[in-house]
Amino acid sequence: MSENSMSSTIISRANIAVNRFGYGARGDELAQAEKDPKQWVESQLKPIKFNGDFPHSNTILIEHAKYQKEKKRQKKQQRKNSQSRNMQDKKKAKNFSRIALRNMSADTINQAIASSNSVSWRLLDFFSNHFSVTAHGLLMVGLSATLEREAIAPHLLGNFEDMLMAVEQHPGMLIYLNNEKSFGPNSRMAKKHKKGLNENLAREIMELHTLGVDGGYSQTDVIELAKGITGWSVKRPGKERGEGFVFRAYGHEPGARKLLGKTYSQKGIAQGSQMLRDLAMHPATAKHVCYKLAHHFVSQNPPASLLKEMQATWLKTHGNINAVMRCLFDADDAWLNSTQKYKTPREFVISTLRALSLKKYNDKALLSTLINLGQQPFNAGSPAGYSDDELDWLGASALMARIDWSTMVSGYSKRVNAEKVMSRALGSSVSELSYRSVLRAESSQQALTLLLMSPEFQRR
Amino acid sequence: MKKPKIINNSDDLPTSALSRRKFITMTGAGLAVLSFPMSSAFAFEGKKQLASPKIVWLLLRGALDSLHTIVPTFDQQYKTLRPKLSTSFKSPLLPLEKGFALHPSLKNLHQWYQEKSLLPVVAVYSGYPKRSHFDGQDYLESGKGEIDHDSGWLARAIEVKNKRALAVSRSTPISLRSSDQVNTWYPSNLKDADEDIYAALDKLYQNDESLRASLESGLQVRGLVGDKKGKKKKRQGKFIDLSKACAKLMVGEQGVDCAMLELGGWDTHKNQGTRLDRNLAELDQGLAALKSGLGEEWRNTVVIVGTEFGRTAKENGTGGTDHGTGSALFLAGGAVNGGKVQGNWPGLKAEELFQQRDLMPTTNSFSWIANVLSQHWHFTEQELKLVFPHVKPYNQAIIRS
Repeated sequence: MSENSMSSTIISRANIAVNRFGYGARGDELAQAEKDPKQWVESQLKPIKFNGDFPHSNTILIEHAKYQKEKKRQKKQQRKNSQSRNMQDKKKAKNFSRIALRNMSADTINQAIASSNSVSWRLLDFFSNHFSVTAHGLLMVGLSATLEREAIAPHLLGNFEDMLMAVEQHPGMLIYLNNEKSFGPNSRMAKKHKKGLNENLAREIMELHTLGVDGGYSQTDVIELAKGITGWSVKRPGKERGEGFVFRAYGHEPGARKLLGKTYSQKGIAQGSQMLRDLAMHPATAKHVCYKLAHHFVSQNPPASLLKEMQATWLKTHGNINAVMRCLFDADDAWLNSTQKYKTPREFVISTLRALSLKKYNDKALLSTLINLGQQPFNAGSPAGYSDDELDWLGASALMARIDWSTMVSGYSKRVNAEKVMSRALGSSVSELSYRSVLRAESSQQALTLLLMSPEFQRR
Repeated sequence: MKKPKIINNSDDLPTSALSRRKFITMTGAGLAVLSFPMSSAFAFEGKKQLASPKIVWLLLRGALDSLHTIVPTFDQQYKTLRPKLSTSFKSPLLPLEKGFALHPSLKNLHQWYQEKSLLPVVAVYSGYPKRSHFDGQDYLESGKGEIDHDSGWLARAIEVKNKRALAVSRSTPISLRSSDQVNTWYPSNLKDADEDIYAALDKLYQNDESLRASLESGLQVRGLVGDKKGKKKKRQGKFIDLSKACAKLMVGEQGVDCAMLELGGWDTHKNQGTRLDRNLAELDQGLAALKSGLGEEWRNTVVIVGTEFGRTAKENGTGGTDHGTGSALFLAGGAVNGGKVQGNWPGLKAEELFQQRDLMPTTNSFSWIANVLSQHWHFTEQELKLVFPHVKPYNQAIIRS
């Protein structure tokens, strides 16, 4: 980044702990962090557990199958004109997925806003975006929000390998990247039904999830991995017993595979599993994921020494995410005392609502805000996820929308004292200019808007 | 024109801050300039030619039913396949050559056809072999013969010719991904903040160049397309309003060379007659607004209107049509050599249909677009390979010389 994009204001270690690594201060967190900022951040790394208030991916698959069946039946019956009740059933099933997506997206954000360990919620969001899925098509509308809950959160502070395995076997990912219908060209399935190979998931596993685009793999490796995971599929409720992930042996490409120079002669599901385990521990994966973590949590251009330490920790601890994050927090390079990054819309909205402790913000308004600011949950539109670069968020139209929204939420918070919010959110790490602007604003609403839109609040 | 002098006599404000007066000048139309603060690749000075040929790419998302839009009245099968739809038109069809006719909602387009600045192309497809909307759209936007979420054909085209583009969208659509010469604009349904706050923020951003540049550019764009003050909140993002705004951002010395618009609502599985009456009127009026907004620039403009695929030749049981294959493409604009119907008609008999179900595509959309690029933006064959590596351009005289 160019130097002039950074504020020259020196920011305190407590401010860094709360704003750079977490979602911003809620209540007196800044004061808590002041005693020992590093210890405070490390104590923030706690497992995230979702309760069972929302439908599991299996339930969504069942509801979707019902919807498809009803749709088919109605098509057959169309001429008979007796459809009013069934139409409602169909609509209900259709809405089931939409409601699930809306409720789960809002719940994750609301929990992040209310959390007393927001650093972990940032980490969850990082991996959710690393394994990005998009809610395109009715089935993905239902499934997309379940991936982070069922496959990512349980392994958030565990080994990357286990998270990778859970993600690549989750119906959401298998369906999003079309692996559920990918079958080996020499499998029994292909011979009988003329089904073939789909490379989509295999390519993204290597390009995005593990090695990275420069990770040294070839098109042959993509095909070999794709063949290795042929038959990794999803059960079709109503047509077969049970739901969720299934390995279809009759769709698996027979024979040994060669991936990145290594031979895999395992049979069945073990072949793809071993390939993924090896990919998870490949040095290029350590390099790729550590870079993304440091680029997200620390700076646009993370220092080489920091990256080196993180990668060494990754390889030493079998890709343990908790250990790698502690290594990051331990490094002086992560605590550079000027702001390094521009908040994404999601970070901006969550940190604002944490700072204001607003109660009346409802789910619909919350999601519509993120749509207006350009970061609708589960809608990146590409398996690469949302960008983590200032260039992509600091556009003119995007900034105007932030200003409009800040003005609006400031209007909801008329009784809030902007000076007090400033002190709790940023402490003393505020430039003379910003401090004076907020204090001299012509109304409390304007004061709050200026605070929220100040470089010190927009950046971290 | 003399620039208004900026008076800054408030000693309270640092010199870099905006005075209220400058502010009002900036947000007013006329003076405003659309700048691209985030892109260093641009050189504005002296590069702009007066008559720069413009392209607007309009993607109709949801698969437009071409048989209900450019009706093959001469084809014996048409009425047999579509007994209800063929009689659903509320007023007479608008005749084109060879027995084709436009849907009655497309009044302006028909007018342009008569003026020879509309060229409908029948029975086209992108090469996308399946029937999924999202993949089909991604395929059409990527333009590479495969889906690439990070690179679009229009972005590659502007990179080759060093042009600038605008996406009327909240974030960059695939068509315009992989170039840094792209800006986005979209109305937000948030209420605009008061002007005071912009002035205060401009002052607050005096030490933060990138925030400051974005703010000023944002104010300029907003000034150009007008703010919503005083008006009752209406449905945001109406196509006619987006088209008007798009035109404003394309004209003038700093207007962009090309823009992308999107319009959805074409997935007409049921009640197609009524829905297309309305949707095609919206399309027609939006394009008319674009034309009038472009003014003189219309002469240099080609609007390309495409959709991801077509719909079934036969109507279904709910007064609509299902996902199909062959569809249509429109080229419109003063630069278009129109007044004809392009493309080869494959016929609608069962054995003439694709998989006995869809209109058989006879030409490729990308070859037509490549044809436009070669004649309108003077792409060489080598350059076209960078945009569409997998197709050959057609060589019809579709642009006025």
